Amino acid sequence: MTTPVLAVEGLDVEFPSYGEAPVRALHGLDLSIGEQEIVGLVGESGSGKTTLARAIMQLVPPPGRISQGSVSFEGRDLSKLDEEQLRTLRGRAMSMVIANPRSELNPLLTVGQQIGNILKYHTGCKGRELRERVIEMLKEVRIPDPERRYDAFPHELSGGMAQRVVMAIALICNPRLVISDDATSGLDVTVQAQVLELLKRLAERHRTAMLFITRDIGITAHFCDRVAIIYGGEIMEIATRARFFANPMHPYSVLLLAAFSHNPKLRSYWLKEGEAAAEARPAETGCPFAPRCVRVREHCRSVHPELRELEAGHHVRCHFPVERRA
Amino acid sequence: MTLLDVKNLVQHFPTGRGKAVQAVNGVDFTVDAGETLALVGESGSGKTTIGRCVLGLIQPTGGSILFHGEPMGGRRTLRSPELRGRMQLVFQEPAESLDPRIVVGRTIGEPMAALGASRADREKAVRLAAQRVGLPERLLGSYPAELSMGLQQRVGIARAVVSRPELIVLDEPTSALDPSARAEIIDLLIRLQKELGTAYLFISHDLSTVRYLSHRVAVLYLGSIVEQGPSAELFAAPRHPYSVGLLASVLLPNPELRRESTIRLEGEIPSPIDLPPGCPLEGRCPLAIARCREMPPVETVSPGHTVRCWRHADVAQMEQAVDYFERFQIEAERILTPAPSKQEEQWAN
Repeated sequence: MTTPVLAVEGLDVEFPSYGEAPVRALHGLDLSIGEQEIVGLVGESGSGKTTLARAIMQLVPPPGRISQGSVSFEGRDLSKLDEEQLRTLRGRAMSMVIANPRSELNPLLTVGQQIGNILKYHTGCKGRELRERVIEMLKEVRIPDPERRYDAFPHELSGGMAQRVVMAIALICNPRLVISDDATSGLDVTVQAQVLELLKRLAERHRTAMLFITRDIGITAHFCDRVAIIYGGEIMEIATRARFFANPMHPYSVLLLAAFSHNPKLRSYWLKEGEAAAEARPAETGCPFAPRCVRVREHCRSVHPELRELEAGHHVRCHFPVERRA
Repeated sequence: MTLLDVKNLVQHFPTGRGKAVQAVNGVDFTVDAGETLALVGESGSGKTTIGRCVLGLIQPTGGSILFHGEPMGGRRTLRSPELRGRMQLVFQEPAESLDPRIVVGRTIGEPMAALGASRADREKAVRLAAQRVGLPERLLGSYPAELSMGLQQRVGIARAVVSRPELIVLDEPTSALDPSARAEIIDLLIRLQKELGTAYLFISHDLSTVRYLSHRVAVLYLGSIVEQGPSAELFAAPRHPYSVGLLASVLLPNPELRRESTIRLEGEIPSPIDLPPGCPLEGRCPLAIARCREMPPVETVSPGHTVRCWRHADVAQMEQAVDYFERFQIEAERILTPAPSKQEEQWAN
């Protein structure tokens, strides 16, 4: 088997908490991404999805730390690399696109400088060649009138345009892996559709693998090769897109989908009424989803479920997975 | 019965040097008693401005707004005694629309105080409103910060229904909420409309909620209504290229279901300062022809369904009439209906 681009194994990330046990943001997380694969990671706020993105980049903000497990990039264990070696990877071999493009861009530098800086740092390219390659990239992300936009400042760009500039920064060094963290959530729907299509096309053309983190399960249905659902810092379900949407087996996955249903019976069955659900925190022992699960049983509260392969390529972390009527 | 009748509404905001932001450019629509009209569009389309004009929070530049057949404006505003409390508003951000320093029970009662109700009447109305929106009575003494977002939004809705208004403007009431809380708020709004017969002007960009909640839809682009019609019909057979583009952009959580369309919108909504005189979509529309530099007339394509496009007949030719939202619902029912789990049975034995 070929080495995956990214292999996360048994990853734990902890944040110390004053006078209490540390908060575990990720717990025993396994995830691998193959060459040119787009994996969608869906979770609500607080599920650990951004922490995972940071842990992969080895950028967990202190005092948080990776307490267990490993992140390997193209077969190299990143925890064994020093800061200098990591810097040559970040932005070049693996890069990130985040939400809020306006806050990521430096308001004092032009678009061209910001895209050019990263290319200069990693390849030493400069002068006319640098400018040409940046303009080429601006064309690729479909920024109209790239020659003029090269000298524009971030405040002169619309939201969709700023997002394209951030994409250009992430892609200019031809990375092997791009992590997109909620990158399209602030955009209007028609612009979001354009940006997603562009991202997919660029990923194909540059043979880039992608971890696509989002709150919107709808995006993953049209954009990703595999779908992973994260809750309480653990993967609850992971499968190829077709299998996942045809046969979602974790009660949490079903809850996320049932929220789109207009059938009151289905909704009242899957969505636990009211505020108990909204305030439930992931459980410490047993299944983290137990406090919100409509099908919870005593067993779930005491025994932590393992991620099991229930059909080919379809893994579920649940003692009592949901089954379909034949 | 027509409750609200908006005619040729125009709202321009001067920006100096003789220019203006042309937020709303001649919009016509009506809302009947007890029905829901959705205004959909992206940021900058003018939907919030229209809501604010209807409520009389800003004075429109032109056009008229009739409430019960009589024009608003002049001395007849929401503040005048005969109209007070008959139109209400629910905001997008529940936390920001509640006063953090007073308990939610008092917030809910404020419209009644403005109507001059006695203390006893006020308390009675507050308890009734809380009950209607499913807010437990013990929480009436809480401060907004003590409640979850879903509960905060229930408070906002209780405050809107407490004076028994005939019309509520809902300005993106669910877009700040998590999916499960969103579903509950939508169900609540539907139930309240059935119980109280309130009409809703529902402002939203979330099309799957719109499809579910509204009887009719008006699609806005750059301050003009480009298409208007019954929800089921407009979602199945859109006739304006922008409506098509909007519907094709919706990513429902089912990989098989997305409007396939040859009509693709390029670029973004332009600045609403100094708009050209023609069709507002002209610069982005793949079907644009020379004639589109002139404003197309509003044409009726079927009863209650109007469109403003020179090429609407071509759009009808090019587009399949499929309601993907409806198909998604049917599929969701099939996929999500639970079967008793084998493991569960084994466990029980």
